[in-house]
Amino acid sequence: MRIDSIEKLDKWRKECRRTFEAPKRKVIVCLGEGCLANGSEEVFNEFKKLVAEKKIPDVTVESVAKTGCHGFCALGPLVIIEPDGTFYTKVSKGDVAKIVDKTLIGHEIIDKLLYTDAKTAEKVANYEKIPFYARQQRISLRHCGTIDPHKITDYIAVGGYAALGKALTTMTPQQVIDEITKSGLRGRGGAGFPTGKKWATCAKAPADVHYVICNGDEGDPGAFSDRTTMGSDPHSVLEGMIICAYAVGSHQGYIYVREEYPLAVVTLQKAIDEAKQHGLLGEHILGTELSFDIKISRGGGAFVCGESSALMRSVAGEVGEPRAKYIRSVIKGLHDQPTVLNNVETYATVPAIVERGADWFAGIGTKKSTGTKVFSLAGKIKNTGLVEVPMGITLREIIFDIGGGVPDGRKFKAVQTGGPSGGCLPEGKIDLPVDFDSLTEAGSMMGSGGMVIMDDRTCMVEVARYFLSFLVSESCGKCVPCREGLYQLRELCAKVCDGEATEEDLALMERLAKTIKVGSLCGLGQSGPNPFLSTLLYFRDEYLAHIRDKKCPGGVCRKLITYAITDACTGCMACISVCPVHAITGERKKKHVLDKNICDRCGSCYAVCKFDAIEIS
Amino acid sequence: MTYRYTVNPSRCTGCRTCELACAFTHTQEQKPGRSRIYPIAYGPDRFVPVTCLQCDDASCVKSCLFDALKRNETTGAIELDKDRCVNCRACVAACPFGCALVDDVHDQVVKCDLCGGSPACARFCPTKALEYKRIA
Amino acid sequence: MVQMTINGKVVKAPDGEMLLTVIRRQGIDVPALCDHAAVEPCGSCRMCLVEITREDWNGWKKYVTSCLYPSENGLIVSTHTPELQEIRRNIMDLYLARCPGSELVQKMAEEYGLTRTSYKTIPEGDNCIMCYACTRICEVLGRNAISAVHRGHAKVISGPFDDPPPDCIGCLSCANICPTDVIEWHDQDGTRAIWGRTFDLISCRQCGKGIITRDFAEYLKEKRQIPADYFEICDDCKRVELARKMGGLVDLAKEVAS
Ligand SMILES: Cc1cc2nc3c(=O)[nH]c(=O)nc-3n(C[C@H](O)[C@H](O)[C@H](O)COP(=O)(O)O)c2cc1C
Ligand code: SF4
Ligand code: SF4
Ligand code: SF4
Ligand code: SF4
Ligand code: SF4
Ligand code: FES
Ligand code: FES
Repeated sequence: MRIDSIEKLDKWRKECRRTFEAPKRKVIVCLGEGCLANGSEEVFNEFKKLVAEKKIPDVTVESVAKTGCHGFCALGPLVIIEPDGTFYTKVSKGDVAKIVDKTLIGHEIIDKLLYTDAKTAEKVANYEKIPFYARQQRISLRHCGTIDPHKITDYIAVGGYAALGKALTTMTPQQVIDEITKSGLRGRGGAGFPTGKKWATCAKAPADVHYVICNGDEGDPGAFSDRTTMGSDPHSVLEGMIICAYAVGSHQGYIYVREEYPLAVVTLQKAIDEAKQHGLLGEHILGTELSFDIKISRGGGAFVCGESSALMRSVAGEVGEPRAKYIRSVIKGLHDQPTVLNNVETYATVPAIVERGADWFAGIGTKKSTGTKVFSLAGKIKNTGLVEVPMGITLREIIFDIGGGVPDGRKFKAVQTGGPSGGCLPEGKIDLPVDFDSLTEAGSMMGSGGMVIMDDRTCMVEVARYFLSFLVSESCGKCVPCREGLYQLRELCAKVCDGEATEEDLALMERLAKTIKVGSLCGLGQSGPNPFLSTLLYFRDEYLAHIRDKKCPGGVCRKLITYAITDACTGCMACISVCPVHAITGERKKKHVLDKNICDRCGSCYAVCKFDAIEIS
Repeated sequence: MTYRYTVNPSRCTGCRTCELACAFTHTQEQKPGRSRIYPIAYGPDRFVPVTCLQCDDASCVKSCLFDALKRNETTGAIELDKDRCVNCRACVAACPFGCALVDDVHDQVVKCDLCGGSPACARFCPTKALEYKRIA
Repeated sequence: MVQMTINGKVVKAPDGEMLLTVIRRQGIDVPALCDHAAVEPCGSCRMCLVEITREDWNGWKKYVTSCLYPSENGLIVSTHTPELQEIRRNIMDLYLARCPGSELVQKMAEEYGLTRTSYKTIPEGDNCIMCYACTRICEVLGRNAISAVHRGHAKVISGPFDDPPPDCIGCLSCANICPTDVIEWHDQDGTRAIWGRTFDLISCRQCGKGIITRDFAEYLKEKRQIPADYFEICDDCKRVELARKMGGLVDLAKEVAS
């Protein structure tokens, strides 16, 4: 069916809503990538099978629905029973029969499958009451986990393409741009450039052809919010892009998807096909003058391909290498034509703004960073996952209230924000409001919203070395400061870790970092020294401990630590069996002995000891 | 004002003054360049001073893939832009008269540039076999 | 024409001309390792960095590569501030770690008082400074035979997939443009070897001297419509032939006259 007018769209929406809301009770199984990896497809099929067999009056096969990611993948496979909002975690195929009998038929809650609050250790039955969700405000992720990403009808049912209809029929392109500008929306891909301003510049650039590109390269290790959005709510991204195309006068769009995201590609392609079938994409969208097509472009497989000039070369079929440019890509981008490049999250936010108005959006967050931002919580944190929160919320709220704090009774030490080239913020900055400007001021950055939490058993020099290694391997190698400089900076960091560096080396590192920062060609090099600079800024004493005292305060750097066995040893022999160099000897039930001269400091014993009897100093 | 470079072989005595004049005019780093002009004997005591004809549809210009050869509209000479030339020697191979040459001392391709409008060969030629004449 | 200030001096330049060209015309020596007149600038060496600002930037300034930044009205350019010299020195220090054997690098590093690198010398380093002059000239030529392969620190200039480049025609433009002479080639027995390939050289029909590769001649013939027989005789023999032909005409004229 082709939807060639607003009236038809409204009519269709009513039908879709009827189907979507038909089942009184629903069993929602998460089939997002995280849960899929943990076997949620089996769970889903089992539900379908058992529900069909049992013939429950208010639960039919249609009641078993699948959705995309809920952002809490570490607890997957997730199952939610609506309308009660009963939230089951880590559901296995074997649990399904029990859920069907007890919960679906018996209206009973199965305690064992409930979420345990990270702070209070209490079981929480309803997912809206879980702090992880309760504190969030979802705009970009608004449909993730509520609709089936493979059904355009689900999207229509929850109000999809209404914003596009509104823009096309009641607003001029200029009014759309004004609305986005007024909302204060800033790019979610890293630099936080005002989106309205970008669109306005592109729209004004004189040329016959304008392009609209969506950056779905998501190269930061640990970040997966763009993948989630593309895979769980693809139409929001498409709708945002179509609105942008209308605003800037474009007929061709591209979604650049990271090589490693094949499932997202499938989902997006299905969404594109469905949208085209229904006249929401392609020629004469919604029966108007607007014609716009979207193609998927597969990524070049390198971190640097996410950089705008490299990305555009890659889309054009060239080597994905940054190009030095003095003319911005909004004016001369893909094929030298004016091009808008925005991040996935940026586009997914656009329909919400158009629908609900700039003032609504601007009222959320802070004055200069409006709206919400998605963060990927990872590392030493109880609740790993995706969270969307208003800008200006403090790090403390994100890490402790939503994330549940640091596990295993350890102490929080630092949080790394902004991906590999972001920076580490110490405990002293825990009450920092999270927005573009305050993060940058504190020596880190927003980046794509990665947050890696570290506990007190982390060596900050080692952290710097780790991220520098990533950047060294991802540097495209075109310009000298980045190619040679980051390499040497990493080598010097390693020298510090090995306890072989001098204070002159540290001074050399600081000089080098500055040269890389100002001398590099693209953003990768320019932000490359950040892991070093921010750890040095907040943890200089740790660097000095390695250099002067030959000690690693975090107890990580192999060459500077010794392992010993304390009186807590019960003589369980676990360590003896794992030690690869046979440095530990002893008899059962007697305290073991560790020979420091043989010990290779691999940490295997520390990892297996259940009695905390291995001491690192 | 238009000038024309003319060669009158019957006056050439093979003295090779032009060669010297050319080489010294094109001195670089105190080393004389390779002469772009050669009086060549074609019989006993009979010589032709062979030098670039600054052809209208010049093969050297056509063969240079880097636009290093361009006509100087004032002098009419086809000049080689040293900064652009990469010594690929396409022009050397393409000139039908062998008048784009390799200067081994400076490791460079060279050709007659009419000395920027005052050809030394003509100035020094004792018999006026070479002349640079005003024609309009 | 636009008006700018370079190191305190008011300078006029054509709109859009790259700063490096303008600066050099002023007789100011800004170092550059990847710049060449025959190819588009690429900004890889970063030595030509200069500081720019404007009246209306309220003291804000930035560093740009002058080889890639077009002239515009009102720019205030500084080419040798202590910060810039420090950056250039650090870059040469890095080059020295990567290409310790390159004379070009040694010479330029010395200008910044460096005789040995402050960093770890890179074991697998060679003299290629990754200036991309070779790949860019091959691109201008229209062959695109070689390119930079691999990423980051492992990047090297090579044929596709590190194999001998099938599109190479053995013209030597890359080897000749290379500022550090690292591209190996040699002519022997009527053949030329470069990039792991061997090409037939056309030898002069008269004296046997090698001229250019047959592939290069074919390419010129096809691309620039130069008759094939032009390439069959070397320049020396062609001059002799011209003398003979012209001499014949002179003699004929004399005969007719007498
Ligand atoms: C090395 C590097 C990698 C980048 N990777 C990404 C990425 O994976 N995804 C992204 O959206 N932006 C990435 N960016 C930022 C983009 O260049 C660009 O600023 C962004 O896509 C613009 O969209 P926005 O205004 O919506 O943020 C990267 C930048 C650099 C320098
Ligand atoms: S800064 Fe790094 S990634 Fe960017 S162009 Fe230079 S070498 Fe490539
Ligand atoms: S060098 Fe040869 S081809 Fe070029 S103008 Fe002179 S004579 Fe003609
Ligand atoms: S040798 Fe120089 S002038 Fe001659 S064709 Fe090659 S680049 Fe052009
Ligand atoms: S020799 Fe081969 S690789 Fe080098 S410039 Fe010529 S065609 Fe290109
Ligand atoms: S081989 Fe020579 S020309 Fe090519 S990048 Fe290396 S240094 Fe530059
Ligand atoms: S995939 Fe199920 S919660 Fe993320
Ligand atoms: S000459 Fe400008 S970057 Fe190398």
